[in-house]
Amino acid sequence: MSRAAVILIRIAILAVFLGAWEVLPRAGIVNPMLLPPFSTVLLTLGEILGRADFREAMAVTTAEVLIAFVIAVPLGGAIGVLAAENEYFGAIFKPMLFYVFSIPKSIFLPMFILVFGIGFQQKVAYATFSTIFIVIMSASAAVESVKSDYVLVAQSYGATRAQILRRIYIPSMMPILLETLRISMIFNFTGVMIAEMYASRTGVGHMIANWGENFMLPQLFAGVIVLAVAAMAFNELVRTLEARCSTWRS
Amino acid sequence: MQHVAQLNPAVEAAPAAAVEVRDLGHIYAGRDGPVPALSDISLTVPTGRFVVIVGPSGCGKTSLLMMLAGLRTQTSGTIMIDGRPIATPDPSRVGVVFQEASLFPWLTAVENVEFPLVLKHAPRDERRGRAEAMLNLVGLSGFGGRYPHELSGGMKQRVSIARGLVQDPPVLLMDEPFAALDEQTRMTMGHELLRIWSQTSKTVVFITHSLTEAVYLADEVLVMSARPGRILDRVPIDLPRPRTYKMMATDVFGALRERIWQQIRSTP
Repeated sequence: MSRAAVILIRIAILAVFLGAWEVLPRAGIVNPMLLPPFSTVLLTLGEILGRADFREAMAVTTAEVLIAFVIAVPLGGAIGVLAAENEYFGAIFKPMLFYVFSIPKSIFLPMFILVFGIGFQQKVAYATFSTIFIVIMSASAAVESVKSDYVLVAQSYGATRAQILRRIYIPSMMPILLETLRISMIFNFTGVMIAEMYASRTGVGHMIANWGENFMLPQLFAGVIVLAVAAMAFNELVRTLEARCSTWRS
Repeated sequence: MQHVAQLNPAVEAAPAAAVEVRDLGHIYAGRDGPVPALSDISLTVPTGRFVVIVGPSGCGKTSLLMMLAGLRTQTSGTIMIDGRPIATPDPSRVGVVFQEASLFPWLTAVENVEFPLVLKHAPRDERRGRAEAMLNLVGLSGFGGRYPHELSGGMKQRVSIARGLVQDPPVLLMDEPFAALDEQTRMTMGHELLRIWSQTSKTVVFITHSLTEAVYLADEVLVMSARPGRILDRVPIDLPRPRTYKMMATDVFGALRERIWQQIRSTP
């Protein structure tokens, strides 16, 4: 199938989906209280984007997501590299990290509330916690993906340690690292949302939870669209980078 | 390095032997105590000669090559490359061509070839020109922009040879470079290697499992024993050059191969 055909079919599916979203509630086939028509949601979206409290909530959520990301990724990356490169550290901590990784992080949320309260710090702490393990695992897998043959070749041409790091390790690991970036943002965003919806006074997650509880469905859907678009935009941005860094992959 | 070169003009410094190994032994620490890997290895490769090492699997051929490249340190004995000991890798004296799949997949062919020059911080134009010339030498002009996964097995090994030659080292070490290729490509690559060798007049130490390849390529074949690796026999190959595929069918060729085979077979 040609690329153009694929894109056309995708657009058609989207059109059918949005069309059904518009028509079904208006025709009374679906209860419009539960599913407000798409156009109503779009109007509400325009309205809430103009509201000061929503924009403030977005600013708070964005800050929480970014700060948790900036803490979890480098820290998890460093621990992951250490676990893969340092024999002793790896032998002691790797199994433990694997165990903790398997536990659903949301069950720790009440403890985070007891320690950090329900403010900004708690969101960042919990999101960092729910993200860091996947970063550790992926970073350690990235280091292990570097073939020792390539290191040997570089050494035979007199490469220094710094050159081996820059010329062999970084490019070898780049595809996995970018994927890690993408997946860790999914974990991170989820962490912030869960924390905001569970107990919070601000943030987009908090507002969505409120709208749901008060049966304000147009607002709820508008909020979901905002978050979905933000998540997809980040994902696609990193995917573009991935594609550019992976031309060499067969 | 420049003043050293001036103190030792090339004519005066060029030693008769490009590779000189004396009483080399190697013992590595195994799980059940020390394991002797190589013992009593002495060999001399005069400048410009093509020497092939054959031997059973695990006889330490690759270990020996790694030591010649300065990538591993022997337990005893001395190695002189171009008249000087080699303790650490020195790409200006030794180029190494590894087994298949040693090209960096994230670099194009020409970037792979210029990699050693990048490590030396050579100016971009100079190293690109040099790399292109090497690709030309190995018959790959026009393929510089391809990634390794876009090249056939034989072409990949041509790129590896170009990379080994790019710094113009007097000695080229080759560790079973054609082992992963199909028979036909392997023969073609052997022939190509001899052409490149005669054009560059390098000293070559070549490791292989294939006796036919050994006899076809070599001035001299060194036969190694199973562990601990020792040199069992030194077989001079007096076939005229340039070598042709037809020679493989001759009695002389067959007798040489048979002599080597009997040695290898007799080792436990």
